[in-house]
Amino acid sequence: MIDSLLQILLNGAASGGVYALVALGYTLIFSVLGVINFAQGALFSIGGYLTFLLMGGKIGVNGALPGWGLPAGLPFWLALLLAALGSGGVSLVVERIAFAPLRRRGAEPLLSLITSLGAGVVLVNLLQILMGAEGYAFPQGTAALAQLPDALLIGGARIRTVQVLLLLISALAVAALSLWLERSRTGQAMRAVAEDPTTATLLGINSEAIVRLAFLISGMLAGLGGGLIGMSVSLAGPYFGISYGLKGLAVLVLGGLGSVPGAIAGGLLMGLAEALIPSEASGWRDALAFAVLFAVLLLRPNGLLGRRQLEKV
Amino acid sequence: MPDNGLLVQMILGALLGLSVYLPMAAGQLSLATPAFYAVGGTLAALMATQGPSAPTISLAAVLLEMLLAAGLTAALAVLVGLPVLRLRGIYLAIATIALVEIVRVAILNLPFTGGATGIFGIPQPFREPLGYLWLSGALLALSGWACQRMETSRLGRSMAAIRDDELASRCMGINTTRVKLTAFVASAALAGMTGVIAAHYLNTWNARQGSFDVAVTTLAFVILGGSRSWLGPVLGGLVLTALPELLRPVGDLRLVLFGLVILLGPVLFPQGLITPALLERFGRWKP
Repeated sequence: MIDSLLQILLNGAASGGVYALVALGYTLIFSVLGVINFAQGALFSIGGYLTFLLMGGKIGVNGALPGWGLPAGLPFWLALLLAALGSGGVSLVVERIAFAPLRRRGAEPLLSLITSLGAGVVLVNLLQILMGAEGYAFPQGTAALAQLPDALLIGGARIRTVQVLLLLISALAVAALSLWLERSRTGQAMRAVAEDPTTATLLGINSEAIVRLAFLISGMLAGLGGGLIGMSVSLAGPYFGISYGLKGLAVLVLGGLGSVPGAIAGGLLMGLAEALIPSEASGWRDALAFAVLFAVLLLRPNGLLGRRQLEKV
Repeated sequence: MPDNGLLVQMILGALLGLSVYLPMAAGQLSLATPAFYAVGGTLAALMATQGPSAPTISLAAVLLEMLLAAGLTAALAVLVGLPVLRLRGIYLAIATIALVEIVRVAILNLPFTGGATGIFGIPQPFREPLGYLWLSGALLALSGWACQRMETSRLGRSMAAIRDDELASRCMGINTTRVKLTAFVASAALAGMTGVIAAHYLNTWNARQGSFDVAVTTLAFVILGGSRSWLGPVLGGLVLTALPELLRPVGDLRLVLFGLVILLGPVLFPQGLITPALLERFGRWKP
């Protein structure tokens, strides 16, 4: 009983870690621009598929280039890192096309919700044309994780190694990002831009560069999440990232829009809550996040750890 | 000349475009149209397949379904909109995406909605697509007339004011939450009634009818047509529904095309095809 509870908690924490990664990606962009980047889910998908291809995976029969693949596969670690960078690069392109023109025109911020949604739809459907709609399992499975055992026994509970890695890597990424935002000069500049872009610019901070940096990091976080989920579960078609992106939105609202600790706590809570749903009701699991979202909007619209936002005239 | 079947789909598209347009006319981005469309379609599918199975159904029964669907979706919209519309616009976008997902998962998992395969053999009120053309055409004409009346009414002017500056409108004594809620409820009822017609027309209904893709497609209708007048989404819905059918080779690229409209539209043609300047030229529709 205790063992299976431990197992459930660890599974929940592992997927919660990924939710936190996605939510942090939203948070970074929200805090500097005050908008949501709806393309985040597509970047998640791209990260997963890039990791798959870089590890030497072949494109399936329904793709544009059936049977095509890299001649040699990279180890999982390297593939994951490069895929995250790739997603970050795509995120910069999204910023350039979907956000920058509207920002320069001083357009209604709500419009960039629409353009970023369009960017996400285009990316996911291009991915579908390239790779086909079928799911993919990672090439060498867990064997790619060096000589690690398939599962670990922790206090009598059998935990898949890949779940532990998932938790560790997301924890590491989250910790590094928080530390960087808090301590480094660039991190402080980012927080200054988040507070007030005009004043930050007057103080000699290059706000535009900071915005691009936020998009790069947020795309990398999404790509990292995609690669990790691809490894631990599988790639369930190009749309798989969209559902993580949508759940990330629920986590974002739960934690409070723009709050870094909120995104982390919200992600973990959501992962644990989902893991606690009994298997008989597993069909409803995907609705839980959104039910929580409504409950938060009803009871505490600023989220668990968000600050109250005052409208300025 | 497109056949009657395509014309029905085009009109259904125009109706869904209007449903997305209504909240947008008050400056709100709602992506909930597919959710209300799905609720309406499911209600019709359930009601029409109760009792002994029959291939036909009376028009009166369909109209009753539309009435009930409008009531049910309007109630749902109040329930969702009331807490969310007090908050800033971004929350409505997020909450409506969540609603689409909840409705989809519910239709997939409820014991009486047929799971992934859905509900089959929904009886038909008409033998020919022409009948559906009359029914959907009448709904479109009625909605267009109501929108036209609304645009010069106190409500329509309040919506336009909120769209331009919500805070200023509130300072001028406009009950912004109530106006936004009215637009959202009208949007929901219209999508619900459209769902009823679509369920009978398609003869089958399942959870995929109200997927996230529909939100993208219908949003593209409004962006292409323009959201400064109700004519915009109607035109966008008609054109963008017909386009992929007429350009068969586009096939797989349909969603890429709609995505590009949404991605580039607000930058390249911020006012859509039906612009205020165009309306000015045809004085009758002065905004």
